[in-house]
Amino acid sequence: MLSLKNLSKSYKNNVALKNVSLNISEGICFGLIGPNGAGKSTLIKIIASVIQDYSGNVQFTNNKIQIGYVPQEIALEETLSARDNLHFFGRLYGLKGAVLQKRTEEVLSEIGLTERGKEKVKTFSGGMKRRLNIGCAIIHQPRFIIMDEPTVGIDPQSRRYIFNMIEKFKSNGFTIIYASHYMEEIEQLCEEAAFMDHGKVVENGSIEHLLKKHAVPSIYVKGRMCVPDDLSQTCSKGKDGGYLITANNPLAAMERMIHFCNENSGEIERLELVKPKLEDVFFSLTGSQLRD
Amino acid sequence: MFAIIGFELKKSLQDRGLLFWTLILPIIFTVIFISIFTSGLSGSDRQQVIVSIVSGYTIMFVFFIMISMADSFIKDQNIGMVTRIESTPLPSLFYLLGKWISYMYIVIIQILILTTFGKVIYDIPLTQPLYLIILFIFLTVMVTGLGLALSLLVKSINMGIALTQVVALGGAVLSGLWIPIDIMPAFFQKISNFLPQYWAHQAFQDAMSGTLQVADLFKTLFVLIGFSLLGFIVALFAYPNFLRRSKG
Repeated sequence: MLSLKNLSKSYKNNVALKNVSLNISEGICFGLIGPNGAGKSTLIKIIASVIQDYSGNVQFTNNKIQIGYVPQEIALEETLSARDNLHFFGRLYGLKGAVLQKRTEEVLSEIGLTERGKEKVKTFSGGMKRRLNIGCAIIHQPRFIIMDEPTVGIDPQSRRYIFNMIEKFKSNGFTIIYASHYMEEIEQLCEEAAFMDHGKVVENGSIEHLLKKHAVPSIYVKGRMCVPDDLSQTCSKGKDGGYLITANNPLAAMERMIHFCNENSGEIERLELVKPKLEDVFFSLTGSQLRD
Repeated sequence: MFAIIGFELKKSLQDRGLLFWTLILPIIFTVIFISIFTSGLSGSDRQQVIVSIVSGYTIMFVFFIMISMADSFIKDQNIGMVTRIESTPLPSLFYLLGKWISYMYIVIIQILILTTFGKVIYDIPLTQPLYLIILFIFLTVMVTGLGLALSLLVKSINMGIALTQVVALGGAVLSGLWIPIDIMPAFFQKISNFLPQYWAHQAFQDAMSGTLQVADLFKTLFVLIGFSLLGFIVALFAYPNFLRRSKG
């Protein structure tokens, strides 16, 4: 387990992290969500030992744990080949000789670049570079992988490929910290998540718990004379001329609407339960104001 | 650290700009200036001019390695390579030393190639080879030491190029690498005594001609060590700030 206790970090007068405490269990994917400047990258850099001048405590249950860090930037040497880049990072992590060769080939296969291993990185697409960026972080087979926005600017195929890689890491018992602005990615990949804002953790827990606690379910309805007065107060315009109605008990609300419709000779064209999303939790916790 | 050295050398081999600044341009300059300044000369006068130009341009052009060094550090900073390397078990200082040593290799190879060019094409004398090798090594350490300091201080590659040109070209003019020091005004001659290029140039010429005394060799080495230390100490002080900037 990774335990973070009272982590604080300031850049001159700017407070980046303020008393952040979190526990991250082994073998899960843990999402970090927050608007720009929330402190996610600073927290990640502290865990990855990039930033060492902070206050508080970072403790791994296993002291000899190896960490793999996938930075937000594509930190690769573009004038050299994929194999050269993997070799370089492998050597930095202490691999050499036959072990390094073997791991290089294994990683090239894992990231789907075996055929392109000899080619210069500058000839690669964005998705290939992102995959190699991950490859360089897993060359030494770390048990703990930290990923900072690993899918920015890539095509859906590469994103899917990276998701599959992450699922494979999870099934092998690796722990992953995954920071992203894409909430659907966190929802899809992570078991737990923390929302950060203004350098603090404003909420954390399992995805299910977060959705239950903060996202109010809603119903989509399209039709005529089917929304009772009390429900119309929480009604807002939806797509295609329909309406979105928030309700704490959506099934009961749907039943009432059907009754109301029958009693008033109304007509329901579409009636759907809208699943709550992490995005709703995000806006409910951080607000919708711009953070430029 | 050896991983950094190997990686940097591999990168440098791909860098055509480096090849241009370190070898092609100095060779072009040497050929052109020798043909201009030796026309009408013969015998020992001609040889003296050739020795001065070959050693002078070698010294001037080794300073251009500072552009490649600054470019490499700034690029590493911008693409997040420094941050990424910081997350590995490699001690921070080894990154700095690894980069430094790799550029030392490049400069020593540059000096050897330019000197060999002078020997093969113009038959320059290399009368005191041991002294010359010692001078080559100390010049290499000094130039790359100053390059290290500059690379960690500048915030953009344009700033690096501008400062390198001031150091390389300004130093070359004031040290007599272009024009013989004896015909320069007395004030400039005094200034040249404070510049490493002047000391290196004088010692190179003397060692090539076989007239370098041990005392003068040590005096030159002392100056070169002084500037090397200056560069390295400034780099050490600037390094934490460079790392902070890199980490955002």
